[in-house]
Amino acid sequence: MTAITHDEAFGHDEHEHHGPPAAHYSSRISPGVLGMFLFIASEIMLFGSFFTAYFFVRVVNGTPWPTPPYHIPVQVATVNTFILMTSSATIHWATTAIKKGNTWGLRAGLLLTFLMGLSFLITQIFEYLRAGFNTSDGAFPTIFFCLTGLHGCHVFVGLSILLFMTIRAFRGHFSAEHHHGVEIGGIYWHFVDVMWIIVYMTVYIL
Amino acid sequence: MTAATVEETHHVHATAGGGSPWRMLTRGGWIRAAWMTCLFGALGFGIVVLARWGGGWHPILATDPIVLVSLLVAAPLGFLAGLGAFDYWTYYALGGATRPEDHSGHGARSWKDYFRVNTDHKVIGMQYLVTTIFFFLIGGMLALLVRAELAKPGMQYFDNQTFNGLFSVHASLMIFLFIIPAFAGLANFVVPLMLGAPDMAFPRLNALSFWLLPIAGIMMVASFVVPGGAFACGWTGYVPLCSTHQPLGAVFFNQAVQWAGASSIMTALNFLVTIITMRAPGMTFWRMPLLVWANFTTSLLVVIATPFIAGSQFFSMFDHVMHTAFFDPAKGGYPLGYQHIFWFYSHPAVYIMMLPGFGIMSEVISVFSRKPVFGYRLMALSLMAIVVLGFSVWAHHMFVSGMASWLRVPMMITTLLIAVPTGIKIFSWLATMWEGKLHFNTPMLFALGFLSMFVIGGLSGVMLGAVPIDIHVSDTYFIVAHIHYVLFGGSVFTIFAGIYYWFPKMTGRMYDEKLGKLHFWLTFVGFNLTFFPMHIIGTQGMPRRVSDYAPKFADVNMFISIASFGLGASVLVFLYNMITSWRDGELAGSNPWRGMTLEWLVTSPPPVFNFDEIPQVVGSPYEYGVPGAQHAVLVPSKATEMEEVPV
Amino acid sequence: MRRGSILTLIAIGIVAGGIATAVAVLLPWLPEPASREAGRIHFVIWFVIVICIVIFAVVAAAIIYAVTHFRAAPDDLSDGPPIHGNTKLEIAWTLIPTVLVTAIAIVSAIVLSRNDAQGKDVLHVNVTAQQFAWSFSYPDAGGASSPILRLPKDRSVLLTLHAKDVIHSFWVPEFSQKEDTVPGLTTTLHITPDRLGTYAVICTELCGLGHALMRTTAVVMTPADFDKWLKSQKQASTTKG
Repeated sequence: MTAITHDEAFGHDEHEHHGPPAAHYSSRISPGVLGMFLFIASEIMLFGSFFTAYFFVRVVNGTPWPTPPYHIPVQVATVNTFILMTSSATIHWATTAIKKGNTWGLRAGLLLTFLMGLSFLITQIFEYLRAGFNTSDGAFPTIFFCLTGLHGCHVFVGLSILLFMTIRAFRGHFSAEHHHGVEIGGIYWHFVDVMWIIVYMTVYIL
Repeated sequence: MTAATVEETHHVHATAGGGSPWRMLTRGGWIRAAWMTCLFGALGFGIVVLARWGGGWHPILATDPIVLVSLLVAAPLGFLAGLGAFDYWTYYALGGATRPEDHSGHGARSWKDYFRVNTDHKVIGMQYLVTTIFFFLIGGMLALLVRAELAKPGMQYFDNQTFNGLFSVHASLMIFLFIIPAFAGLANFVVPLMLGAPDMAFPRLNALSFWLLPIAGIMMVASFVVPGGAFACGWTGYVPLCSTHQPLGAVFFNQAVQWAGASSIMTALNFLVTIITMRAPGMTFWRMPLLVWANFTTSLLVVIATPFIAGSQFFSMFDHVMHTAFFDPAKGGYPLGYQHIFWFYSHPAVYIMMLPGFGIMSEVISVFSRKPVFGYRLMALSLMAIVVLGFSVWAHHMFVSGMASWLRVPMMITTLLIAVPTGIKIFSWLATMWEGKLHFNTPMLFALGFLSMFVIGGLSGVMLGAVPIDIHVSDTYFIVAHIHYVLFGGSVFTIFAGIYYWFPKMTGRMYDEKLGKLHFWLTFVGFNLTFFPMHIIGTQGMPRRVSDYAPKFADVNMFISIASFGLGASVLVFLYNMITSWRDGELAGSNPWRGMTLEWLVTSPPPVFNFDEIPQVVGSPYEYGVPGAQHAVLVPSKATEMEEVPV
Repeated sequence: MRRGSILTLIAIGIVAGGIATAVAVLLPWLPEPASREAGRIHFVIWFVIVICIVIFAVVAAAIIYAVTHFRAAPDDLSDGPPIHGNTKLEIAWTLIPTVLVTAIAIVSAIVLSRNDAQGKDVLHVNVTAQQFAWSFSYPDAGGASSPILRLPKDRSVLLTLHAKDVIHSFWVPEFSQKEDTVPGLTTTLHITPDRLGTYAVICTELCGLGHALMRTTAVVMTPADFDKWLKSQKQASTTKG
């Protein structure tokens, strides 16, 4: 049906030394990528439930946004948004580089992406510390912290994945033929970035 | 590859590393799980204390966050890591070279292999089934305690908090630890076989999703020993009762649901990828057995809907532990929001608990009627219709909740419409049986029991869909009767049918047919005597979830309680049959039911990698009565002997 | 299909339907209605039950007929006829249930809108629920409150429901109408009592330890008695105030 072999599809770089006859492969999309897309579908629904809570508090209940006397640090978040959007470009650079076999492009791209993600997260932690309100201070702080916090957790997970990818990249495990790990991790990082834009628009701008 | 070489390589892997004490402590297994659980628990404790000290929050030693982070999150992670669920991923993440899969975690040679992280979908299927039946027994005992208390009006044995805890934990265990994962277990065993695949797409993820389950189950049961008692707000955990008016036990429920939910999302994702990418040559979507279709559609529901219950439990728990204001009206929260988010998952969950059963029914009824499934394509399409409609009916649980009243009529229409695809399935099964050659083995008896009980449950469901009727009977015993007719008469009967049907395939031995039939009749009669009278006391005015009731309902309740103990006793027959037959039942042979689907082409129990030859699918899975028709043939594999690996 | 077997099938269907009808008619399913809304709701219930009995009879007849007529001998290893489907039949059992549920939806929607429509001269009652007690106050009587719900016969009553702590639910089985009381929200319920008597008010939403005991009574009085009672309450509250 397709030219992809089982080994490639499942990310096995070498021949299996014993085991079953290779599974028949019945789809053009690789299991890893499909799995990541399904996982992201699930993640979008998780964000969906948080946005539903946001909808109930802000639209149905009509909670003032931000509720005085609190302020949202929009400028910091805008700078952060640019950092994260740029990191989407660098991870894209990294994946295209490795597809051409350029391992140094991969390493530089991953490292840059990781550093930008890290600075985003650190900035957000400082934003929390200086926010002047706490989770228990009412509906607005609750939604503010939970939506940005949920996204922050995803940045943390994405950063961990980036870290593992970077380690593997520097150990030379990726090549023009074998770069599934980079591709799948890259998809997740793009998702984290796109999700931030939605969070940024709804929490900070609207 | 011969069986002997498999044996040999496994032997090598099992003993690799020797038995030095240091190795005993650091090798993935129960010893490492024990100390890593403690270590992670301590780390969780440390993190909370540090964070509270750094943030200046007093008291630093607050019970709720410490229990949550240390006991309910960190310690289970430590347990999983210790058992070895993350070993390969950790190795990979830290930059180890991609290892060729050595299948050392695959297959079971002794009973000990069922107690470790095993990547064989057949072993995982059995782990699931045994675990879920264990929690089914606990949930059943809790139900009997509830019935004991309700046998007479007034309080007999328990205080109110305990009583409310009993039925809450009963429902949660039955839903999250029995019905949903029991279907996942059956499907785990059968679906890869039916697809002609050697395993699931992600075997390690599959192993991890199983090991999350006991954690969730133990957490729910353990809530009884928490100071203040178990969570006592019903399995729906409505707020603000569950978030701010309950003891710490409520957090155990919130968190257990997260573990069980994560498990079911991972399994569903695994099923979807397996079904899409690992079908045998020739297995098009329209040649898939309906059980595979059923699990495909169920998995879609799980992946899309389950995050919503995760969200709802996060919010409820944050309100409890962090004093957030999701549902606290005094702080600007919106209590009804919980119900919308909760039911946006929990109504699809009703189909998550039913569609796999529909799949089992199609297999069983077709095989024991010796006829093709009537209207195969419409059967598959009606599953898809249920998935789509299932997302548009959640608010029918909220007709009297005080939600916007304009939502009621549209939700009523979609709810009633969902009866149409369900009806199609019922009528198609009847037509499948029509003019067939019916064999009444135990699986078929349970299938017939399911058909008749599910019709009653479905019809009372249509009644509940009509808003005016729902207004009268909502939150009464009529609801209790309805859910037991669809979940016990529906789902549990199909689980029993599935277990009896694939028992020979799983164990290689036949169950005792006489005991199986006895089990069916005891269950069928006990079930009806227990649950049918609940309809009547419900419409007459007995509310659900009460420990005490008006004296006029005393006689019926006494009757129900006696019947329920009979129903409970019927499970003992099942257990006895399963245990003795597993040990020394008659050998079953590879195809005792003369089925056509792929799992019957291999030996019972199947070889460790399912198919030593690659199956080639050549036709529909249900060509009974068509002369010479076959679903699949086994083509001798080109590479039965693998070449040596250059090291 | 032979004519004889069709007759057998119909006969089984009639017996099954008859048994189901007997269960529906002979057992005491519903409390005697005490409000106009309950009368309408009971009509919907019986309307749907009739449809359900017909469907139940059809399915039961098919199952019983199949079980009795198509049983294979244990040593019979032959297969049934390879019938894969029948488009006409499949269309029929898609369309007929669709029509039936549409009928149910229409009847329900009509009853729902009539039950929510208030008459003239509406009596307002504020209902407050808290763990684990009810209280009722009458704005017409200067906000006098009572632990018992007293209502006049044949007058449209609008209950305005509040909750102080958690969600409760107001239900009088004889009135059939039910609505949750939600903290932070105001919900309403419309009742027109039409039978004198004393009925139980039940909390039907699990609300904590005392949920089973959260009961009071509703008394439907003649309009004259009710006015007299209301006046006395008004006086009591003004003298107190």
